[in-house]
Amino acid sequence: MHATADPHVDAVIVGAGAAGAAVAWRMAKAGLSVSVLDRGPWLNQQEAANSRDDWEWVMCTDHHPDPGIRKAPADYPVTADDTPIRPAYYAGIGGSTLHWGAHFPRFHPSDFKTFTLDGVGRDWPIDYWDLEPYYDLNDQIMGVSGLAGDPANPVRASRAMPPVPLCAGTQRLAEAADRLGWHWWPSDSAINLDQDGLGRNCCNQCGPCGMGCPRHARASTDITYWPLAIEAGVTVRPEATVGRIETDDDGRARSVLWRDRDGAWHRQAADLIVLAANGMGTPRLMLHSTSAAHPNGIGNRSDQVGRHLMHHPTALVSGVFDESLGPPAGPFACALYSQEFYETDRGDTGAMRGYQMQAIRGQGPLGTALGGYVTRLDWGGDHHRQFENSFQHTVSLTVTTEDLPEPENRVDLDDRAEDAAGVPAARLTYRVSENSQRLLTHGIERTTGWLREAGATETKVTALSRQAGFHFLGTVAMGEDPDRFVVDPAGRVRDCPGLAVVDGSVFPSAGGVNPTSTLQANALRLADLLAGQTPMRRGRAEARDMTT
Amino acid sequence: MSTDRLTIVLDRLLPGDPDAGWPAAGALGLADKARQMAAERGDADRLAGIVAALPADFDDVSEAGQVAALKALEADQPDAFDLLILYAYGVYYTDPRVRDVVEARTGYPNRPPQPEGYELPPFDERLLDKVKQRPPFWRRP
Ligand SMILES: Cc1cc2nc3c(=O)[nH]c(=O)nc-3n(C[C@H](O)[C@H](O)[C@H](O)COP(=O)(O)OP(=O)(O)OC[C@H]3O[C@@H](n4cnc5c(N)ncnc54)[C@H](O)[C@@H]3O)c2cc1C
Ligand code: SF4
Repeated sequence: MHATADPHVDAVIVGAGAAGAAVAWRMAKAGLSVSVLDRGPWLNQQEAANSRDDWEWVMCTDHHPDPGIRKAPADYPVTADDTPIRPAYYAGIGGSTLHWGAHFPRFHPSDFKTFTLDGVGRDWPIDYWDLEPYYDLNDQIMGVSGLAGDPANPVRASRAMPPVPLCAGTQRLAEAADRLGWHWWPSDSAINLDQDGLGRNCCNQCGPCGMGCPRHARASTDITYWPLAIEAGVTVRPEATVGRIETDDDGRARSVLWRDRDGAWHRQAADLIVLAANGMGTPRLMLHSTSAAHPNGIGNRSDQVGRHLMHHPTALVSGVFDESLGPPAGPFACALYSQEFYETDRGDTGAMRGYQMQAIRGQGPLGTALGGYVTRLDWGGDHHRQFENSFQHTVSLTVTTEDLPEPENRVDLDDRAEDAAGVPAARLTYRVSENSQRLLTHGIERTTGWLREAGATETKVTALSRQAGFHFLGTVAMGEDPDRFVVDPAGRVRDCPGLAVVDGSVFPSAGGVNPTSTLQANALRLADLLAGQTPMRRGRAEARDMTT
Repeated sequence: MSTDRLTIVLDRLLPGDPDAGWPAAGALGLADKARQMAAERGDADRLAGIVAALPADFDDVSEAGQVAALKALEADQPDAFDLLILYAYGVYYTDPRVRDVVEARTGYPNRPPQPEGYELPPFDERLLDKVKQRPPFWRRP
């Protein structure tokens, strides 16, 4: 195959999503020449469908987070016959942040040490305070609204902007949590609430952030990191699909082969190849890149690549209120959360680790009828009554559980389908573990009680949200032990000099919260180490917390 | 002239409620639009297939018989039926006439979320008075 040689760079990054953007910017700031390849296009969020009359139809179809429903040209095939949780991701400059909810919690200190504390899962080779300065740095660039002082978490720096407003439904939840004596706190949200700040418009509470934000209020890396990275000299190539990582006879990664939008092939050589294609796309490429030196795929000597896939198995309980709660206003995923049952309490939950409960605001008319995350309304004679009872009368809570790493839960390849670059489909094999199931059961009971306390006259339970496979973690984990961990604590693939992984694949454990602030903070840390920089000093909050 | 079968199906799925002002989906003449939406997503054959999978006498039986046939189809081919529901609810709830009824019945304005958005009062920190009393309870490794 003929491939045009691109000029050699210090680092080539595969994937322009949450992690790739942070790493590209940080490496360029350290003086490296950086080129970034992403299979997806640039999107103009100012043209997002939130302003169109058919916005809900677009949300249910062409902008659906499930590639099997969306069928966008940039997507790669995924076989999901053997998993109860459908994949959700997005291909484009900005990656899955183009579609995300921007709920921006941090891991707890215990999340990094589950084995030491609870004898389950895998410890991280770092702790919370190693990451704290990177969390702060990432917060500055993404732009975070919220409030410091949450007693469920270590002290953190003041948030740049005040919390996202509550709506009638979420305010009822806050008051009910107080009556129950439970923890709740307004969400840290990667959403701009400052009219003059960040060069982005202030959120006007329109609701469906998952479609993209025409006001650029919701952070996504195309409007946060990428402009800074490009200014720092990074070359970003959209619609550039990587088909293979090439290694030399000694097994060292030397280049990637990529296919442009016209079908022409290119070879990008680099001193360092950095994978940021997310916890599904990264192991897919590694497994496909076989060679004499890596007959089972790169880094796969011990058959660990793609294993230990962790999602956050999610239940959703909706409360239906007799009175109207008003239009579905406010960012749908960002309002408040409770971490009352976050830390291990085996006597109560019957399980190790815990879960977060996150408020989800109401949906539009079509979303209400079709359900999506929740059960859809019945068709037939009762439909219109059900609609009037549900629409603008519903607020929901997720139960976002910590998944433990199980070797049988995995990403591998399915040769029955391939993308235009000849890479086979990613195949997901996944079961909800008994531990996660116990947490889900406990959480469903507690969220049902919370909604009832808030005044809901009816509750509807989605015991396992099928469309909630938006977190792919742990498939190429980092750690000290070379026999168990494919990458070292600096993100370097052990068996393959010249190759690093920086996305959620490297998470040894998954925490029980949305992962992206941790994923980006860790990506910034890895960028420093990979670029030969001294890591930022451990967080100062440790000293303050220890005195409380 | 006999009524198009998809129109009958839409009327059974979303039969309307005259007292509350909800129109029936078939009577609004939405079948062609539903077919067009399916065609735009490469689903024309699948939509036609699920409608064709109903019993041959579907058009002629009573409304109760049609509902029973649809229920049997839903039980027998749930994924295909989901597709039918997607297009039925999709065409209905994006129709401006239905959105007018939504507005009249619920107060939800018949306009897209942008550019106007919605107003919400700023977060009131006094709501946190009780939680703030609580000492830190995160677990120290
Ligand atoms: C609907 C939805 C809602 C979410 N809400 C939240 C939330 O509220 N809070 C939160 O913390 N997280 C949320 N997430 C998760 C969050 O988006 C991800 O954690 C984050 O984007 C992962 O970052 P990443 O860089 O690993 O991967 P991604 O952001 O997915 O980026 C990976 C990129 O790699 C590219 N790529 C893959 N394979 C190749 C290849 N072969 N060649 C070239 N490019 C390739 C893809 O095109 C993609 O752009 C949500 C996700 C979804 C889908
Ligand atoms: S709710 Fe706010 S952040 Fe979300 S899309 Fe609307 S304006 Fe943007």
